[in-house]
Amino acid sequence: MNKNQLDLLVALQDIDLMLKELDDVKQLGFEVRTEGAEALQRAREELTQKIGKPLLGKYERLRARYKRAIVPVKGDTCLGCFMRLPTYLITHKDKHNQIITCEGCGRILYWLE
Amino acid sequence: MNISDLLSFLSEDRFIPELKAKTKSEALEELTDILVDANLIRNKHLILEMLHRRESVGSTGIGHGIAIPHGRTTAAPELIIVFGRSSSGIAWEAIDGKPVHLIFLVIAPPHEEDNQYLPMLGKLVEFLHDENNRNKLLEIKTFQEFEELIKA
Ligand SMILES: [Zn+2]
Repeated sequence: MNKNQLDLLVALQDIDLMLKELDDVKQLGFEVRTEGAEALQRAREELTQKIGKPLLGKYERLRARYKRAIVPVKGDTCLGCFMRLPTYLITHKDKHNQIITCEGCGRILYWLE
Repeated sequence: MNISDLLSFLSEDRFIPELKAKTKSEALEELTDILVDANLIRNKHLILEMLHRRESVGSTGIGHGIAIPHGRTTAAPELIIVFGRSSSGIAWEAIDGKPVHLIFLVIAPPHEEDNQYLPMLGKLVEFLHDENNRNKLLEIKTFQEFEELIKA
């Protein structure tokens, strides 16, 4: 599958979410191998190589500010700041592929629907 | 949190008494496809990528024929659990090397207001540690029986 930049960013955020909770799931009794955690870091590195520098910079800045750079949109609402998004964004033809940011909080939007 | 809370996240359409899948990869896809069919997710590739990545960190086969593939993903709208059973068993590289018969898929969004994901995972592990519960899960035939077992 040929992935767009938005999907790559989502995969990156999913890795960051996983890294953050490795200790928690280990405590619950799940196997978390040291080599596995290192491999996850390497996968993160590899993924960042595929993402354009300015976009990666944007991701890291948003992450530093909000913890999560990409937020889901449910219905017409940004679940980061709960602002209702304007119609032109909701009806945007290529919203599943384009990097679109919320006008309220500046975070990158992932459309659940 | 109680194990009966599981029923808030697992409905009848997420109960697969006999999986068609013969491999781990097929099982992850079959369980994820349920969520596509229910219109809960639009991009299954992102979810599968996350699940495979989680397996590469360490198998989610926790032994005694149980696997609980899990993870947070930006592509998940809410905390969702899917149950699948395989009477023939599926190789999962489980910690005890045994094939897996009972699979609970647990996916969660990046953030939930009432963080139920980790406590739910914990309750599930606890519930499945009980041999009695595992045996019953292997025997039940309907979702109603499943509900009764979880509520008991
Ligand atoms: Zn926003």
